[in-house]
Amino acid sequence: MQNALVVTVLSIATLFLVLTIVIVLGKGWREVRDGWRRARRRELEPRVLAYAHGSDASILSALGGGVRGRDRAVVETILLDHASRVRGIEHERLCRALDELGFVDRFLARLSGSRWWRRAEAAENLGLAGAKRATAQLAAALTDEVSEVRLRAAKALGLVGGRAAVLPLVNALTEPNRWSTIRIADILTGMGSEVVKELMDGFPKLNAHAKLAALDILGRVHSLEAVPWLLKRLDDKESDVRARAAHALGAIGVVDAAPALRKALDDADWPVRAMAAKALGRVHDVTAIPALCEALRDREWWVRANAAEALKAAGPPGVEALERMLTDADLFAKHQACLMLEDAGLLDRRVAQLAGSGPLRSSAESVVTRFVEAGQIGRLRELAATHTEAKVREALARLLPRETPPGVAR
Amino acid sequence: MGVAQRILVAEDDPVTRRFVVSLLEERGYEVLVAEDGEHAVATAASARPDLIVSDLVMPYRDGYEVLRAIRNDEKLKSTPVLILSMRDREEDIVRGFEQGADEYVVKPFNAREFVSRVRKLLEPRRA
Repeated sequence: MQNALVVTVLSIATLFLVLTIVIVLGKGWREVRDGWRRARRRELEPRVLAYAHGSDASILSALGGGVRGRDRAVVETILLDHASRVRGIEHERLCRALDELGFVDRFLARLSGSRWWRRAEAAENLGLAGAKRATAQLAAALTDEVSEVRLRAAKALGLVGGRAAVLPLVNALTEPNRWSTIRIADILTGMGSEVVKELMDGFPKLNAHAKLAALDILGRVHSLEAVPWLLKRLDDKESDVRARAAHALGAIGVVDAAPALRKALDDADWPVRAMAAKALGRVHDVTAIPALCEALRDREWWVRANAAEALKAAGPPGVEALERMLTDADLFAKHQACLMLEDAGLLDRRVAQLAGSGPLRSSAESVVTRFVEAGQIGRLRELAATHTEAKVREALARLLPRETPPGVAR
Repeated sequence: MGVAQRILVAEDDPVTRRFVVSLLEERGYEVLVAEDGEHAVATAASARPDLIVSDLVMPYRDGYEVLRAIRNDEKLKSTPVLILSMRDREEDIVRGFEQGADEYVVKPFNAREFVSRVRKLLEPRRA
């Protein structure tokens, strides 16, 4: 019994000793390897950068005619590190070197390997290497069983660019169960104007979900080329499409869209009217002011709020229109105008003018009186108590209705 | 041949730093480096570079603080500063110019465009 215990203790101690030796040796080996790689990097990196900044057609001469087997991993890291940080000719030269040295072929082979993390890394590296010839394989990797591989392949397609890379990404928008639409939309947006034609051409085949994402992307890339096409979407039979098209036109901010957006303020569906009002605010079209004043009378709060915001964005003529709306017969419009003038600090500015004289003071008094008549006196009472100018406080005390003391019957 | 113009590169990412240094040295500039904002301000004060290239996100003092320190230093306040940053939002760029930057280049950057901006900043100021 005692012998068995001794044997067990000795076995466990031996096991721990062996494990410790293995861990220490492993760590030591890694440290030596990393140290060696750092030393090789210090020697090889200036040569790679000299090639990147220069005009030699091949990187081989910079590397002394070739890369030794042990240096391949170091050179690969150097090339990928720098390719991810620069654009333009230097980037193209680094990518060309990755291909010339056979790294792109290695990434392609790994992309169809059995280990998912290697496939994911290969997809990412192909993107960093700008490997256009890998587009088909990257597109195929969008159907990989592992989501990380799919995502990195999508990002890689975004980096590789070109029309052939856009189409599979546009199609990915139609599978929200497999993809995060936001991520794919971000990748497509990052690709800029080259996605525009594919999005417009592929639009009819997209599902409802993807159509809305496509319209958002066109707005985010500020595509002037897409404006005529987006204007046509304002007549789409789906109200969501009309609303998003209006939103995209606003994001692009082109004034040519204003007449169609003004018309969209009369749409039967309120989300379209709301987005049209918002878009008109972004295109800064002063001729839309009467239509936006009309939208202030809309039954839907969202439309009124966006119309008020758009009037404020139209500058002084829009603010004047908001002040005129303070006497409007429509209670909703009057209230929304009050809210906007107050929230934007325009009421405070008018109140400060009460300290002056002449037409400016008269005009300010008139605005304050309209606020009082509309029953929006919360901020005015606050200013009457706290304004730094005595003249302003006195003027407000005169213009505001007397407060009923507590306990006195009305 | 005249004396090489001196450029201070303040950048905490070693890969970007080495790329920028090699790019500028290859064009004949004398390049000093700083790995953080504190070091950048100290090196600028002692070495009086002709141009400062600074990242925004750095340890100890960020690029905006470096800019403020440069602009508040009588001897350095006219030194041109080029911001080289990954931050590409409009408000970051506007803030950079408001704090006194002369140029703003977003990473990943085009190396030749970067060099031409550097060259422009180092040209004698036109009257």
